[in-house]
Amino acid sequence: MADSLATISSLRKSFGDLKAVDDLSFSIRQGETFGLLGPNGAGKTTTISMLVGLLKPDSGTVSIGSPECSNASDPTLPRVRKLVGVAPQTLSIYEAMSAKENLEFFGQLYGISGTKLRERVAWCLDFAQLADRAKSRVSTFSGGMKRRLNIAVALLHEPAVLLLDEPTVGVDPQSRNHIFECIQTLREQGMTILYTTHYMEEAQRLCDRVAIVDHGKLLALDTVDHLLRQYGGASVVTADLETTPNGVEIPGTRTGNTIRFEAQHPLEEVARLSGKGVAFQTLNIAQPNLESVFLTLTGRKLRDE
Amino acid sequence: MNQVLVMAIKDLRLLFRDKLGAFFIIGFPILMGLFFGMVMGGPSSAGAQSKIKIAMVDLDQSEVSGEFVRFMAAHESIALAESDYDAARESVRKGQRMAMVVLEKGFGETAGVFWNQPPTIQVGVDPSRAAEAAMLQGMVMEGIGQLAGQRMTDMSSMSDTLASARDDLAADETISPGNRLLFNTFLGSLENMQKSIDALQTDSSVSSAGPVNAGGFEFAKIESIDVSRKIDPKSQAGQMRQLKSKWDISFPQAMMWGVLACVAGFAISIARERTQGTMMRLQIAPITRSQILMGKALACFLSVILVVAFMIGLGMFLGMRPGNYWMLAIAALCVATCFTGIMMIMSNLGKTEQSVNGAGWAISMVMAMIGGAMIPVMFMPQFMQKLSYLSPIKWAILAVEGAVWREFSVAEMMLPCGILLVTGLVGMAVGTAILTRE
Repeated sequence: MADSLATISSLRKSFGDLKAVDDLSFSIRQGETFGLLGPNGAGKTTTISMLVGLLKPDSGTVSIGSPECSNASDPTLPRVRKLVGVAPQTLSIYEAMSAKENLEFFGQLYGISGTKLRERVAWCLDFAQLADRAKSRVSTFSGGMKRRLNIAVALLHEPAVLLLDEPTVGVDPQSRNHIFECIQTLREQGMTILYTTHYMEEAQRLCDRVAIVDHGKLLALDTVDHLLRQYGGASVVTADLETTPNGVEIPGTRTGNTIRFEAQHPLEEVARLSGKGVAFQTLNIAQPNLESVFLTLTGRKLRDE
Repeated sequence: MNQVLVMAIKDLRLLFRDKLGAFFIIGFPILMGLFFGMVMGGPSSAGAQSKIKIAMVDLDQSEVSGEFVRFMAAHESIALAESDYDAARESVRKGQRMAMVVLEKGFGETAGVFWNQPPTIQVGVDPSRAAEAAMLQGMVMEGIGQLAGQRMTDMSSMSDTLASARDDLAADETISPGNRLLFNTFLGSLENMQKSIDALQTDSSVSSAGPVNAGGFEFAKIESIDVSRKIDPKSQAGQMRQLKSKWDISFPQAMMWGVLACVAGFAISIARERTQGTMMRLQIAPITRSQILMGKALACFLSVILVVAFMIGLGMFLGMRPGNYWMLAIAALCVATCFTGIMMIMSNLGKTEQSVNGAGWAISMVMAMIGGAMIPVMFMPQFMQKLSYLSPIKWAILAVEGAVWREFSVAEMMLPCGILLVTGLVGMAVGTAILTRE
C-alpha cells in the first residue's frame, strides 16, 4: 500500500518445533492505530521483534519507512531504526537512574543533543506526567509511572511508528486509564501506532484496525466494527418480565419470568416487545465484542490459556 | 564514538550508584592495602627512626669487650643480638640483620689505650643498607670512645695501666735511652692529666660525636667483612630488600580487589541489561552491537584505570614512591586491557545476574588466591608460586610492582605487560564474538 509505514509479508519464525509466527502478513497505515490481538504465546512479541530487527525471520520480509522515504526498509539499519519507537513489554529503563537521566541517555543514543534534547526530554516528561518527579530515581516510581516513562522513552526521538508491546501489563486500573489517555492523545496527533495486547477491550477501545492472531497465524484483519459484524454474532438479550400480555410471542427461551434471546438488532426487538405491552423488570443486552469474535474464530475464549 | 562514550558514562554512573559495588571497588581495596601494609611492615618501619639490627660477635670475651657490647646494646638506635661468627654472617647475608660487628681476640687489651695499636673491629654490612652502614660505623667509634673515656677517668684502672706501662718500659731493654726518656715524659704527662681530671671532677664521658682519630690517635681500625652476593634477588628476602615502603607490596596487591570488583560489576551489568530489558532497547537503538559492547568495555577499562590511579595516589600519600611513572602508566593500561577482556568473557558465564555474579566471583577468587592478591606470591610455597603463573592477577601485580619498586627495565616489563595485553585482547575477541552471536 502506498501509505503504509510498516509492512510484513509472509513472515515465518520457528523456535525448534514451535512455529511462533506462521505466514503472517499485514501493513500498518500512516496515522492509524493498528492492534495485534491474541492470547499469550500467539506470536505478537516475536512479530514485533522481527519488525524492529531484533530477530531474523526464517522467511518473509519486513519493511519500515514513511511514504516519503522510499529507500527505507531493513529495520536493522540505524537510519531505519530512528523511524521506530518501541515500548517493550518488559520495562526497559534504568531503575538506578532518574526519569530525566533515562530520557537524556536514550536521547543521546539517538543522536539528539543540546537544546533539542532538553526540549524533547521536557516534552516527554510532560507527556508521561512525570515532570515533578523528573529527578527521582525510577526505582521509587509506581508500576504505572514506570510504564508511562517506558512509553515516553519510545517517543523521545519523534519516531514515525510507535510500537507498544502490551503496555498495560501489570498496571493498576487507574494507571491503565492514564496510559489509555496518553495513547488517545497520540492518536489525535496522528501518530502511527502498532498496539499489541491480549485484552480485547483495549483493542476495541483504541484501535482503528485489529489483526487477530493465534499460534502465529493471522485469523482476521479488519476494523473493529467489521470484525464484530462479520464474526461477532448476534447480541444476547436477557430480561426478567413483569407482565406479558396474552398473545404476544416471546422470542428465545423462557424460564419462569426470565427470557433469553439473540438478535442482530436487540434494541429494535426490545422496542417491538415493549410496544406490544411487555413490561420489563430487568433488561440486559450483551453486544458482541472481540472476545466473541475470537471465540467464533478459534472455538475458545481469548483468556483460556 | 560519541555513542560509545555515552554508553560508558552511563555504565560508570550506574556502577558507582550501587553503594555496595562502589565499596568493593574503592573501600575494600583500601582496607586490604592498609591492613596488609600494617601487617607486613617493611623498610619504612625499619627506617631512620627504627633500630638497626646488628649481630655482635665477641671473640675476646674480656671485661672490656663486654663493656663495649653493653654500650652498643644500650644504644637507642641499635637492636643487638650476640651470636657466633658464622651465624652472624649468615643472618646478614640472608637479610635478617643489617650488619655484624666482630670484636677480635685481644680487643680488651688495646681498646681505648692510646699508645697501643688500635683494636681491629670487623664490620659486615648488608650492601643494600649503605646509608645505615656509615651510621653504624659512627656508633662503633662512639663505643670505642666511650671505652677510652672510661679508661681515662677510671682512676684505679688508669693508674694500674700507667704503672704497668712504666714497668713494661723499665723492663724493655731494647728501647733506646732517648725513646725511654720520651715515653717516661709522656706517661708522666698522662698521670698529671689524670690528676687534673680527677681534681676538676669532670664528666667522664667522651663526646659521642667524637672524631675517629682524636688527637692523632686512632680509636679503632675497622675492617669490612664481605657479606654480599648470598641473597637470591628472586627470593623472599631478596625481594623484600628491594622494598622502599611497606605499602609497596600491599597496595598493588590490594588494588587487584578493586579491579576484580570492576570486572564483576561490569560482567553483571551485561546480564542485568538482559534481564531488565534495557539490552533490548539498546539493541533497537540506532547503534551497532559492537558499539554497545565497546561502551561496556570502555567503562570497565576506565573504572580499572580509576581504581589503579586512586590506589597509587593513596599509596603515595602514605609514603609509596613509584620508581618509574611512565612504566606505571603502561602497567595500568595493560592491567585495564587484560581485565576488560576477562570481563567480556565473564559476562557470558551465565544468563542471569546471579549466575554471572556467582561464577564470576568464584573464578576471581581463584585468580586472586593463586595470583597473590590475598597473600603475596613471594610468601607462597614453591608449587603455589609456579601455579601463580596461570593467574592474570600475578602478572598484573608484577607489572605494577615492576614500575613501583622492582625497578624493572623496559625489557623486563615486556613479559608481564605482554601477557596482560594478550589475555585482554583474546578475552575481548572471544567475549565480543559470543555476545554478538547471541
